[in-house]
Amino acid sequence: MIIAERKPLGEIAMMVAPHEKVTVIGCRSCVAICLAGGEKEVDTLVSAMKLKSMNEGRTQYFDGFVLERQCEKEWVKEVEDKILAADVVLSMSCSLGAQTIGDLYPEKIVVPGLNTAMFGVPEEQGVWSEKCLGCGDCIIHTTGGICPIARCAKSMLNGPCGGSSNGHCEVNLEIECAWYAIYERLKLQDRLDLMDTVRPPKEWSTSHSGGRRVIVREDAKLTPHQIRGKEASL
Amino acid sequence: MKRRVQVVICRTCSGAADVLDVDRLLRVASDAPYVGSAVIVNYACNKKSISEIVDDAKSKEVDRLLLVPCSKKDVSPTLFQAYVKKAKMNEFLMETVDLVGEAALPHRDDPARAQAKAEAKLLAAIARTALLEPLHKITEDMRTKNVVVIGAGVAGVEAATTAANLGMHTIIIEKSEKKLKVPGVMMTKSRVISTEGHAGNYSLSIEAGEKRETLECAAVVVASGGDWSDAERRFIDAAPDSKPLYQLDRDVSEGKTPDGTVIIIDTPDPEGARTAAQDFAWEEALDCAIEIRKKSPATEVYLLFQEMRAMGLAELAYKEAAGLGVTFVRYDAKRPPEFDSEDGNRVTVLDMAQDETLSIAFDALYYASVSPNPDNIAIADALRIPMSPSGGIRRGSIQRGPVTTLRPGIFVCGSAKFPKSEGMARLEGRAAGLLAAQFAAAGEVESGGSVAEVAPEKCSACLTCVRTCPYEAPFIGVAGKAEIAIQMCQGCGMCAGICPSKAIELHHFTDEQLLTEAAVYLRGDF
Amino acid sequence: MPDREPKIVGFCCEKHGIDSVDLAARSGRQYDSSIRLVRVPCTGRVDGTHLLKALEEGADAVFVLGCLEKNCYYDTGSIEGRKRVAYVKSMLSEVGIEPERVEMFNASSSMSWKFSEIASNMVKVAARLGPIGSRGGGR
Repeated sequence: MIIAERKPLGEIAMMVAPHEKVTVIGCRSCVAICLAGGEKEVDTLVSAMKLKSMNEGRTQYFDGFVLERQCEKEWVKEVEDKILAADVVLSMSCSLGAQTIGDLYPEKIVVPGLNTAMFGVPEEQGVWSEKCLGCGDCIIHTTGGICPIARCAKSMLNGPCGGSSNGHCEVNLEIECAWYAIYERLKLQDRLDLMDTVRPPKEWSTSHSGGRRVIVREDAKLTPHQIRGKEASL
Repeated sequence: MKRRVQVVICRTCSGAADVLDVDRLLRVASDAPYVGSAVIVNYACNKKSISEIVDDAKSKEVDRLLLVPCSKKDVSPTLFQAYVKKAKMNEFLMETVDLVGEAALPHRDDPARAQAKAEAKLLAAIARTALLEPLHKITEDMRTKNVVVIGAGVAGVEAATTAANLGMHTIIIEKSEKKLKVPGVMMTKSRVISTEGHAGNYSLSIEAGEKRETLECAAVVVASGGDWSDAERRFIDAAPDSKPLYQLDRDVSEGKTPDGTVIIIDTPDPEGARTAAQDFAWEEALDCAIEIRKKSPATEVYLLFQEMRAMGLAELAYKEAAGLGVTFVRYDAKRPPEFDSEDGNRVTVLDMAQDETLSIAFDALYYASVSPNPDNIAIADALRIPMSPSGGIRRGSIQRGPVTTLRPGIFVCGSAKFPKSEGMARLEGRAAGLLAAQFAAAGEVESGGSVAEVAPEKCSACLTCVRTCPYEAPFIGVAGKAEIAIQMCQGCGMCAGICPSKAIELHHFTDEQLLTEAAVYLRGDF
Repeated sequence: MPDREPKIVGFCCEKHGIDSVDLAARSGRQYDSSIRLVRVPCTGRVDGTHLLKALEEGADAVFVLGCLEKNCYYDTGSIEGRKRVAYVKSMLSEVGIEPERVEMFNASSSMSWKFSEIASNMVKVAARLGPIGSRGGGR
């Protein structure tokens, strides 16, 4: 899922400083799960900000709540009154949520409370690691199920570079060398022949390098007949 | 819900009235919101007082009680039971506030401040009591009076015997094929594979030889013992006649002291992992050494060890042994004693105290340490209980008792916990058998009340509660959201504290209840 | 120095925590009366928001008192309590408030001296730092 991390409180404070009424909106999905923007983190942030104001002898109003999924228009529209009444919206969702609010209410100032970091998995409670870069053309069936695009610092396609040392990456010795892991995995599966396969240069146009991506399922789109009057504006 | 509190202030035998102005407390209570009645009694714990309190409760139409008792601990539970029955009040709508222990006693030197604190505590307690909700416990019958004992060693047999004597049906699960006369049933060549259910109604999956069987029981005692065979393996080639220390202990107590030179040795472990297992051995080793030297002064006794920890009164034994001429040789774990490859009865060791290498010819060698049973990992996994860092089964908090584990209804005794002497193992076996029998004898098990509950509409199914709970109470249910298994929940509230979506509340200790208490304190006088 | 009594709230577990408080009192120990305790079944119940909200409501200092970590009645509760306190401390530092205002303590029920030490510790902190905002705005 999407993994995000709360911005340092000092940075958040600076972003909202010019505004008297700050409305903090979190999300119950990915960011709640990675402990960055769920209801508890929203409450904690609101408390900390209030304490900051108290400490500095200022007045600033904070109000916080969460949406089921901040990137879905219907859920954002449910709290339209609160958004319209805000001086500034501090989004404690990933950037997708923050932008959804901004796109729906372009005249409102929306600031991000989180740094959206990556697609990651929980390795253990409290530890999330990056496993996918969203390249749009998955090849992990050729690499024993391990993605070299995301897990290799150089996104190498055909084996490790010279910097692979004792199974670790020269960029950061705490990172496992993806190709070392791939080799061991293929060995386990008795498919080392895949190490000899030469993968041609990657077609990057399916990744972000090809520009912002839009994916369409024609069969899922609502026909004009299906769209009810009030949703037409969406 | 009415939310009308009856405040009962007991003037008590504790002398609190010397420090606190009880009548003033009564006025403070009477004026507080949500209070339907405030009374003072002289002895809340006597029948007459209880009747009076109950009559007052009924006439003032209150639905909950706040008692200001003599102390947190001395309040008799039967007082509450009587009250609940007579006043027909839900037991969870009753609260106490300890003004004696938290205001009168510790601030005796400053009665004005003690009074202010007592009044603040009283108001906060009233506010909390007003927010309490009625809760209900569920009682489940135990389907069996079975006590399963894992391991037919010294501790296990003692546990089974004790439990059987108290009327339980015992089933010993033993991995080997040994034949023993035991009460109840013994299943040999068997081991526990997995557990379902909860205390009082456990369902164990047992592998018995080639077959799989399900065994229902009320309680389990883990008595898997230690692994003497590991120590034996280390010595058997080097010193074929070597024996375990408990053998020496038995011989000496039967009056058979060995002749010639005796060595008692701990298990050399260059990795240093074994020294933690040595503690128990030294008491036994010292006692044996002393007996031998007293009965047979011609017998030389050497104690070879990495670390000797003669604890408590055993220190006196250490002194006595040294006085009787026992030789203590301390060696470095990285330079363990070496056995002569040709002469199976000679050992060479570097004595760290003298920095001298000794070459000792011996007639009898006893090895004095036992490793944790490697089966403990599988047993702990099967019963879903944690292990200790030294490879034994972890015991529960000492307040729960020395032979308990984390899970209610599962007990541990003997070397399964950490290595101990035969005598101690037997004693622990008896204790575990007694507690298991006591538990099973109740015939029913209670759960519920102050337990956690998930609001599914708020749950993100993030698995945080599932991972955090030590009791495995939370699980992801059919709706794809977390649920709390009430029979497993111990009411600690860790899940409620950690839930990132604030979807879990702990009944009787909700956020609102806790924060209201704090807020009332902070709004008042300090 | 502040011109009112310090306001200190403690979240105390109902097992070893409150037992040590009780034993302190019954051993005749005297300590500052500026402490008010909120009982929780286990310090694992305590949430960062409880500590922060107590500060918002006017506490000068807040503490959490639980069992010794190796002997927690609920096995890992006081470990959780410690982690929550650590997180709150780091948040306070980030907003320019002294992290010493929030503290974690552990005791066993037999430690009769511990609670008076804790009280004295927290009263010193509260007296030194005063209410939040009294020192004119932190950093």
